[in-house]
Amino acid sequence: MAKIVNPEKGTWSNQVISEIQYKAENGKYRIRGCGSPRRVPNFDDLMILPGQLTRMPIDTYRESCSTRTVLGPAAENPLVIETPVMIAGMSFGALSKHAKIALAKATSLVGTVISNGEGGCLPEEMENSYRQSIQILASRMGFHKDLLFKADMLEILFGIGAKPGLAGHLMGAKITEEISKIRQIPAGIDLHSHPRSGDSFGADDLVVKIEQLREMLHKNTGGHTPPIFAKIAAARVREDIKIAVKAGFDGIILDGCTAGTGAAPVMAADHLGIPILPAAVQAVRTLEEIGAKDRVSLIVSGGVKDGADLAKALAIGADAIAIGTAAMVAMGCRVCMNCQAGRCAFGIGTQDPELVAKLDIDEAAHKVANYIKAMTEEAVLLAKAAGKTKLQNLEREDLRSLTLESCAMTGIPLAGSDLVFGEGFGFAAGKSL
Amino acid sequence: MEHIDASAVANKDFNPMVWKAIEDGAKEILISNVHSMHYVLAGTDQPVKVTIEDSTGMYTCSYLENAEVRVKGNVGWYAGDNMVSGKLIVEQNTGCNVGTYIAGGDLVVYGSTGTRVGYGMKGGHIIIGGSAERWAGQMAMGGELIVLGSLGLGAGESMYEGKIFTRDPGAAGKLGGNVAYSEITEEEAAELDALFAEYGFDAEGKQFHVIRPVLDAAGKHKYTLFRPILEPEKAAKKRGE
Repeated sequence: MAKIVNPEKGTWSNQVISEIQYKAENGKYRIRGCGSPRRVPNFDDLMILPGQLTRMPIDTYRESCSTRTVLGPAAENPLVIETPVMIAGMSFGALSKHAKIALAKATSLVGTVISNGEGGCLPEEMENSYRQSIQILASRMGFHKDLLFKADMLEILFGIGAKPGLAGHLMGAKITEEISKIRQIPAGIDLHSHPRSGDSFGADDLVVKIEQLREMLHKNTGGHTPPIFAKIAAARVREDIKIAVKAGFDGIILDGCTAGTGAAPVMAADHLGIPILPAAVQAVRTLEEIGAKDRVSLIVSGGVKDGADLAKALAIGADAIAIGTAAMVAMGCRVCMNCQAGRCAFGIGTQDPELVAKLDIDEAAHKVANYIKAMTEEAVLLAKAAGKTKLQNLEREDLRSLTLESCAMTGIPLAGSDLVFGEGFGFAAGKSL
Repeated sequence: MEHIDASAVANKDFNPMVWKAIEDGAKEILISNVHSMHYVLAGTDQPVKVTIEDSTGMYTCSYLENAEVRVKGNVGWYAGDNMVSGKLIVEQNTGCNVGTYIAGGDLVVYGSTGTRVGYGMKGGHIIIGGSAERWAGQMAMGGELIVLGSLGLGAGESMYEGKIFTRDPGAAGKLGGNVAYSEITEEEAAELDALFAEYGFDAEGKQFHVIRPVLDAAGKHKYTLFRPILEPEKAAKKRGE
């Protein structure tokens, strides 16, 4: 009988075979950088409706459109940034020192905020950033009380999109002496952070903890308490957001399942959490349901890549977006998905001094700033076409779904119709089939 | 000595009131009728001596710095969490997660404590006169936890750095993963003796053993994951070799 040549392998793709071989060989699961490559419904599944006869477009070249963004409006000292694009928390450890400083410098060039990520804040990052967000993580590595009072925004971290329910994971190869010093842990160990905060084990504790933090911040900032955000991975969005609002947060950072990370088990990256598109819709629905939309800000992240994603996220009801992987790509990252190895040839996801030296800080900072500027301008272009003089004025009525799937997930009518095949979202609420 | 009667004070007004007294020059303060309020004296950072006559609620002395606080009653969950320096002395018992993320200072409890005392602690001393429940010192990154009474199961689970001192005769059988039970050194015993003398505990350093983190030869932690057959001896036995 003739041998079958190049058979169609169906389930048993080369990737699946490689994964099984890895497990058979090593008796453990694979760790990978950069999050999940899975294709999930995303902002590309929506289209923006331009103004025609029903409304006038705004002149792309001659008329202005404001991009200024206020985050945590209910806080004593809300955070004001010039573009609704923030740089997400990526740790010094996962990223090189040069990369962290470049990102911080980029925020000063465009007027936005950077989050420090896990394991302390490099003094150079704090010095160079336009506005600084400080994360309060369960591991509390490198954390110090004084950091709280220097922050323009605080994030209490409950989960990240790439590996929700799991904690930070930094391979030993990246724990250099400097990292170990700033994180206050021994050098060279494989670092497994904590998934739960030891100082609040539940929603009830959190209410008290936030009251306490606010009181202390009020005293130490002279009445300029920064907004306190909850960073949560997209899962049971409705319930989680209700709890976060009840606990007293000024805002939510919602991280979808395609978010990046320096190292995550493949299974966690690929199978935990839900995409940011339906999660963002559910978050806005929930905030509206409980009457908190105007006082609680929403930042979405997890695979946001261009101005269209930004415009659509704002139209859905987010106040800003956070970029991580995209900012790395702007610096030169090629998404090889091997951040966990710590051998990044571009000096971004490595601690090897020779490799780190390859990343020119100022050049990288300019590239990231250029990227954020261009991406903001892309969003402005789309907003003006839709007739908006403020980026924040984009609304869900400006959107249409391109696929049945995105229509059902978001409640935004299918393109060319007023019909929603699922739970309607806002203006289309009465037209569900 | 300044005296504050907190019986008619709302929780949210309590700390600002004490801070005002400190600002006005109070160096020693006696507070009565705290009625188990939450985050009592949390965030206090001035060198002041405070005595609280009754019991307090959650987050007592969170983020405490420089101050010396004595609570004559019990304290609730998370007392002394994120403490930076100074002293928190509790004359009776505490809830769980006491001394979580403590970075410095002394947290002394004359009674017993709940689970996860010293969770993720990074520095300072925690002394428990009575017993400590499960997972004492879990994920500690530094500092010293001293328990005079019995230890619960899982002591020192996944510690990165730091030490737990115990004189529980059964302690060796109650260790969490990634830690080992070892003899105390003379320096360590002398350090304990000094602490016991300072806080008036009837104990001697040489009675204690030390629970410390262990790393394998490659410097990696021995995390206990799902390992059904990967122990070579057992696997060989199963195969009948």
